[in-house]
Amino acid sequence: MKGILQYVAGDTVLHRMNPLAKLALAMAVCLCCFATQSLLLVFGLILLDVGMGYLGGVGRQTIKILKGLVKFTAFFFVLQIFFVPDGRALISLPLGIRITDQGLRFSLLLCMRIIGATLPLTIVLMTTRLSALTREMVNRLHVPYRYAFALTTAIRFIPILSGEMAGIMEAQTARGVEMDGNIFRKIRLMLPLCVPLLVSAVRRIELSAVSAELRGFHLAGKNRSGKGEL
Amino acid sequence: MITMRDLTFQYKGSSENALCGVQLTVEQGDFLGIIGASGAGKSTLLSVISGVVPHHNQGDFYGSCVVDGMDTVEVTMTDISRVVGSVFQDIDGQMVSSVVEDEVLFALENFGFGKAEIERRLSTALEQVGIAHLRNRSLDSLSGGQKQKVALAAVMALQPKVLVLDEPTGELDPASSRQFYLLLRELNRQNGTTVVVVEQKIMLLCEFAKRLAVMDGGKIARIGTVREMLAETDVLEELGVHCPRVASLCTELRRRGLYAGQTPIDVEEGVRMVREVTA
Repeated sequence: MKGILQYVAGDTVLHRMNPLAKLALAMAVCLCCFATQSLLLVFGLILLDVGMGYLGGVGRQTIKILKGLVKFTAFFFVLQIFFVPDGRALISLPLGIRITDQGLRFSLLLCMRIIGATLPLTIVLMTTRLSALTREMVNRLHVPYRYAFALTTAIRFIPILSGEMAGIMEAQTARGVEMDGNIFRKIRLMLPLCVPLLVSAVRRIELSAVSAELRGFHLAGKNRSGKGEL
Repeated sequence: MITMRDLTFQYKGSSENALCGVQLTVEQGDFLGIIGASGAGKSTLLSVISGVVPHHNQGDFYGSCVVDGMDTVEVTMTDISRVVGSVFQDIDGQMVSSVVEDEVLFALENFGFGKAEIERRLSTALEQVGIAHLRNRSLDSLSGGQKQKVALAAVMALQPKVLVLDEPTGELDPASSRQFYLLLRELNRQNGTTVVVVEQKIMLLCEFAKRLAVMDGGKIARIGTVREMLAETDVLEELGVHCPRVASLCTELRRRGLYAGQTPIDVEEGVRMVREVTA
């Protein structure tokens, strides 16, 4: 996951766009994905997302995320396909389990919706400076600086924690733990690792808070100036 | 600039004193290196100067620490940060932004500097530490050494009177470590910035610091000029400090009655000492 969801410097149309406008556009695409029943439209929106990724100079990362999402949603697809009994049976399995045309369509639509709704938000994160997003939230939406900073810091920590988890998993692998295998085995092996991840996350957040305090965060709401207009 | 009187501190929940009756005076423009074994209280001492102790890391605090006329217990961490710039040991943890420029801007914006002043300080700080070309890079794409420089630029932009650094070259290779110290020396000499640095690379400290303090069991066991300190290699070794070989050689030559000159503090002086002995 290294490099995913991290800001990628550039001077593309997407980089120059107002962060709030980008966020609004991404939310509109998300809503469209969930509002429509058309497979073709959702597919078109996914293509639009990929196109936007290339337009923003983050095409390679977008494809990488797309591949990850396809793998992730494949699990839901397999699970969902057995739980929709309505429609014409395409395949009949023992114990009365049927795979129907409606089940297939619903599962496919669900997976494509997840992909179509996630991609635009990741593209926004990769083409937007979090400081610019904070500034716009404060200046235009009048969100108190502390809350805006907390929100963008939470977003900033997503790739950091993901990297930490990867590090912990690598350390476990080096000690002979086989992290490969089916998803259930992986989840079983990953659950105990959440404790060291949590400990390291809390330590890091605490240090980050001290660092912010030592650089005048306490004053931020009172007289904060901005370079954004420079 | 910094005065500590009978400073004793015990972390909340701990049964031992992290600092024990520390007496320390650091004049403006000093370059003080702090050395000592692990757990000697070096990082806690820096935390007291920056106000993290007792404002953030709470515990039993006795005595006083006055920085630039401010009692660090009486004022807030923000007040102290106007005078003291801190660089922690864990560089990744102290980052508050995701882009180099934003990391340096953070403090400048918080302290409410004007736009022109912000731009001037930002450019100067980035150029001084040699990372102007990384201005728009994501912090996660940088090496450990580059991040160290970003952290230094972020505090330098505020032009603090005092810089406290906790093992700032921990992630740097020998050449970059030297470069980093050259930069600190420049700040110290040109701007008169007081530098207090905890460091394990003693050879580097001996080359750049004006004074050395050795900590042991929460106390300042020894303090003096670099030359004075290196003249006591036996004492330093007992305190868990691995002395530079040139200083250990000098002690050995003295013990055998072969040398009576001043203690060398770098290789150049060491060569001179050997020439004198062998002449």
